[in-house]
Amino acid sequence: MIANGSSILLELRGISKSFSGVQVLDAVDLEIRAGEVHALVGENGAGKSTLMNIASGVVSADAGEIIWLGRPVRPARPRDAQELGIAFVHQELALVPQLSAAENIFLGRHPSDAGWVRWREIRDRARELLGELGCDLDERLPVAALSLAEQQLVEIARALAFQARLIIMDEPTAPLAAHDAENLFRTIGRLRDRGVSVIFISHRLKEIARIADRVTVLRDGRHVLTADVGAVDEDGLVRAMAGNELLKFEATLAAPPTLGAEAIRVEGEVALSVRRGEVVGLAGLAGAGRTELLEAIFGFGSGPRIRLFVDGRAVTVRTPRDAIRKGLALVPDDRKLKGLVLGASLGTNIALATPRGLFIRAREEAAAAERLVGELRIKAAGLDQPVKYLSGGNQQKAVLAKWLYAEASVFLLDEPTRGIDVRSKAEIYELVRALAARGAAVIIASSETEELLRVADRIVVLHRRRIAGELDRAAATEESILQLAMGGEK
Amino acid sequence: MSKRVLRRFGPLFGLVALCAVLTALSDHFLTLDNVINVCRQSAVNALLALGQLTVIVTAGIDLSVGSILGFSCVLSALLLKAGVPVPVAIAAALASGAALGSINGILLTKLRLPHPFIPTLGMMNVARGLALVMSGGFPISELPSGFRDFGAGSIGWVPAPVILVVLLGVVFHIFLTRTTVGRDIYSIGGNQHAALLSGVPVDARLILVYAISGFTAAVGAIVLAGRMNSGFPLAGVGGELDSIAAVIIGGASFFGGVGTVGGTLVGALIMGVLRNGLNLLNVSSYWQTVVIGIVIVVAVWVDVVRQRASR
Repeated sequence: MIANGSSILLELRGISKSFSGVQVLDAVDLEIRAGEVHALVGENGAGKSTLMNIASGVVSADAGEIIWLGRPVRPARPRDAQELGIAFVHQELALVPQLSAAENIFLGRHPSDAGWVRWREIRDRARELLGELGCDLDERLPVAALSLAEQQLVEIARALAFQARLIIMDEPTAPLAAHDAENLFRTIGRLRDRGVSVIFISHRLKEIARIADRVTVLRDGRHVLTADVGAVDEDGLVRAMAGNELLKFEATLAAPPTLGAEAIRVEGEVALSVRRGEVVGLAGLAGAGRTELLEAIFGFGSGPRIRLFVDGRAVTVRTPRDAIRKGLALVPDDRKLKGLVLGASLGTNIALATPRGLFIRAREEAAAAERLVGELRIKAAGLDQPVKYLSGGNQQKAVLAKWLYAEASVFLLDEPTRGIDVRSKAEIYELVRALAARGAAVIIASSETEELLRVADRIVVLHRRRIAGELDRAAATEESILQLAMGGEK
Repeated sequence: MSKRVLRRFGPLFGLVALCAVLTALSDHFLTLDNVINVCRQSAVNALLALGQLTVIVTAGIDLSVGSILGFSCVLSALLLKAGVPVPVAIAAALASGAALGSINGILLTKLRLPHPFIPTLGMMNVARGLALVMSGGFPISELPSGFRDFGAGSIGWVPAPVILVVLLGVVFHIFLTRTTVGRDIYSIGGNQHAALLSGVPVDARLILVYAISGFTAAVGAIVLAGRMNSGFPLAGVGGELDSIAAVIIGGASFFGGVGTVGGTLVGALIMGVLRNGLNLLNVSSYWQTVVIGIVIVVAVWVDVVRQRASR
């Protein structure tokens, strides 16, 4: 599998970094071979992103050495790292949506004659690069018209355009549907065949086993292990990431649910019913309309036309405010964009959906928020800390705390564990089951089938914005769900 | 701790330093008469800035406050000239300001105009135009004394406009920091989408915010008309920019979600002290404009540097 056996491309030695007194990286070593796919894993806050930001010149290390092809280097800006041949494909893609794919690929380095851009060459080279990645999209299309998966390919093509020898990908599969992820894996395989190394940050351990050659685990800013992927199994990785603390994944599913009365019924273009005490999974490929359905239930967006019944009574929900009054809660797919006021404090975010009277009841709110922070094990410096400084998992818990404070009883969860670490994931699964046990109704949409199998009592599969079928937990398998999601018969 | 103090009171330190420099340069600066004078002259801008702050906290902008001031100024003067009792004329002026402001908000939210710049730019022209139409372009002078007191009167040696600013300042501070509506306003500025999905009635809050801005402009109109003993159609020209400057110098963020009443009032005072000081030092009003422009940019730049340092 490994091309060029042992020639070392990049070596990080003893890298340390602290931000405002907090040690984020503590003497971390990492070695990347030429032509290998190297997975980098760890819980949120383990220091993965910071380490990669140092390697790619986004931030500079407090101590330690960066050795590139046997030579010590000090990339001070992303541009320096790019000139060395290190490219970083961030989660938030750095593309200009209005410009064409071809222009984006050569952004900032347009080939030109005395200031005149050679457009023909840009288009030809762009098509060539995209072709090499196994992609036949029209390079003249504006990036805004491309899917997320295609936009990623444009970023990767951009890295190849400046002869990158190392491409760092930060959770590239997090926003992708299963088959897009498959395509990305093929692209990564092609990169490896060309001798390009890839550092692949992911929370999905199954992917790592499939595509990586080696894996490195970070925990609390320290290097824990580096091993060949074949030499360490999933459990071993989870233990390395979490330390000695036990994770109780499976406990959540022990008790069979005791179902109450129907809590919510959707009729119209999509029909769906959830009882109290029940967790219903919503599966489907990207674009199948999971988010749109949840948003339509919550009273906004351009989803299907539906009629809504809460506790058996027809209700009119025109705005999220109406929905909240009926006891509904939405944990949106993008917590930073839709879930949280990032600059505001944890306490404010928790109280946001629950205005009680004209004047803020500061003491009452603080007491309740304090209780929820403890209950959900939110790690924060205090209620005054702005949520933008919390890790992804803790941010997501803050969104959930907001709805617990609002005493919601019907929870619509859209990708609630996207981009958060293993431990927080387990805690959120536990919370979902606990909510159901307390008599709440939960609809959980996810692109990770495995997650639905783990937490849902019943799985509804969407295909092209309509319900393709419904599977009982006992009957559901990854295959049967995928088949329905692709539009096949049950 | 010290970082927090600096962040919070930075504009105040700026004001104190400015006053210290002017005290050293001019014997006339630190006299009771002059201080009262500065406060009186800063009052109208401070009133506009309170409304402007409320708008800017939602990540908005109100370009129409100067023109709404002009409109309300002319309207109140015309009503007084027609023999309408003072309280009724004042109520009408305040109502007209709030109404024009709420039109801004309604245009923004219901027509889904892309940015508050657009409706308030439109209103800036419409309100000024109406003020000119109603007055025929001429000032309406000789207003009743009961009305003039709001601009020219004083209680003891404290000018009435200053008392008005302090009272409204306290009300705005409590409104923005202690009420759930105030929290909604900061949340909308911090992340409008998240606020909407948390059940904040975003449209209603935005309409309210622009109505408030129109209202404070009308309060400014009453003070200015009283002080000048005249309702003149070009009252408040440039007021939108001065008020935005005061808010920004006072530490609010154009991106929304950040800003305080205290900072804003200090911002208005910095501008007032600067103009007054330059007058005392016999700097021509042309050069004053240049200096104020530089101060605005430097104040925001200092804030940017400060924030970068605290990260």
